[in-house]
Amino acid sequence: MPTAPVDISLNEQSSRSVEYFQSVYDLFKSSQQVTGPVERNFRIGGYLIRLSFSGEALLSLTRALEHLAVDDHATPDLTICLWDSESTGQRMTPRPWQEDDFLARGVIQGYNTERIYTAFQHGSGAVSVLDKERNLAVFWAPDAKLPYWEYGSPIRTILHWWLLSQGLQLVHAAAVGNSTGGVLIGGKGGSGKSTTALACLESDLSYVGDDYTLLGLDSGPVVHSLYNSAKLNSDHVQRFPELLPKVANTERLVDEKALLFVHEHYPSKVATRLPVRAILLPRVTGLPETRWKRVSVAMALAALAPSTIFQLPRAGNEALKFLAAFARQLPCFSLEVGTDLSTIPPVIEELLAEIDSWEE
Amino acid sequence: MSNQRFRVNTPTVTHETIDGEAVIINLDSGNYYSLVDVGSFVWGLIEKGASASELRNVVLQSYQGNDSDVDRGVEELLAQLQQENLIVPVDGTGALDLAQLELPSNNGHEKPAFNPPLLHKYSDMQELLLLDPIHDVDDAGWPKPNPDPAK
Repeated sequence: MPTAPVDISLNEQSSRSVEYFQSVYDLFKSSQQVTGPVERNFRIGGYLIRLSFSGEALLSLTRALEHLAVDDHATPDLTICLWDSESTGQRMTPRPWQEDDFLARGVIQGYNTERIYTAFQHGSGAVSVLDKERNLAVFWAPDAKLPYWEYGSPIRTILHWWLLSQGLQLVHAAAVGNSTGGVLIGGKGGSGKSTTALACLESDLSYVGDDYTLLGLDSGPVVHSLYNSAKLNSDHVQRFPELLPKVANTERLVDEKALLFVHEHYPSKVATRLPVRAILLPRVTGLPETRWKRVSVAMALAALAPSTIFQLPRAGNEALKFLAAFARQLPCFSLEVGTDLSTIPPVIEELLAEIDSWEE
Repeated sequence: MSNQRFRVNTPTVTHETIDGEAVIINLDSGNYYSLVDVGSFVWGLIEKGASASELRNVVLQSYQGNDSDVDRGVEELLAQLQQENLIVPVDGTGALDLAQLELPSNNGHEKPAFNPPLLHKYSDMQELLLLDPIHDVDDAGWPKPNPDPAK
């Protein structure tokens, strides 16, 4: 008796991935017939992206993107359909894969091809699927009780996949700047990235993002704003007590980090795009003053690439090459972040002015 | 030193070398690494398909160091790189073309001193990968949400 082949062919994988996408999309359409459509348009990295919801249950996911909202009803470059089962009463299709197929970073084995991207979001239970050929994606969640970080950086996986195919790389880095340009602030959680970005809210510097931003290389290195949300840990809350009344999720701070939507409180501070002049790697020193010193490009790459790649499904070689090409064009510095937070913005402004003088 | 050749363990491993510093990422384990100086030089030779003995000879030719120090340094680095699954042995017999190499001593200056190569290993990103959130599955077969997401 013949045994079933262990490996399925690429064609079979391709067709079942397309079928899976279609089944999830069909369920979205059914759910939308029950609840009615709600649409919001955003310009992200220069691309018109439409979020099409089934009802309003997941609508607050847009708060982190509100600074990029546009009133543009042209044909979008990408449409992302969002629905949940609880509010719509529409059950999700049973997963067709086995438990062993849940790979690292939520990638679903056997349902990822050149065209179809599928990932499970551990922690929220959400499923993200993208059909790159149709510029169409679906985000499904069991209910709207998503973890705070999903509201802080919504539909991150889908945006990462699709924007990469447009030449934009999502990066785990903050960015601030002024009219001469911006600095990209890299490093893993706890390195001082958010502290540096938040310290600039009350300064002359603009805020681009403090956790995830979007990089482009078209006309030199540029950073695009992605989310206007800041995630504050207990240390930030102590260091920036003036931000506490602005926190969105005060009732859940026992279990969650504080979430602040910068655009709602500092609308004029958020810059949507800046040319990047330098990469900074913050390091908390315990000394009062903030200082900078030059470091190697490879050190900057080591700070940017792993913390980006290990958070994004299907990110790997392509992301490393992009970030290396980006970093190669820039001077890189260690930013020794002082305990006197008021020293941070003027030091960044001095650094930007100095780099500007090199280029004259 | 053997004639064993190696290759970088792609696609599990991705890497970039900038200004003589190599950044190497193991996508499966969540570890990442850096190599500088002699280490980065050796990494570049591995990429070009050099055998262990060719590596050793080119390093001796390019740096000021005695045979035994170079032998030990190169052997230890190759062992570490294999242990971390960054390189894997391959079959192959083609000789390395020395004329195509950019040697540190080619620029007319004195040979730089041989310092034993060190593989710097960083494991601080592992937690992002090694979340094992599939604690349980619900009645439709979906993993239940992780009650303690590490983000």
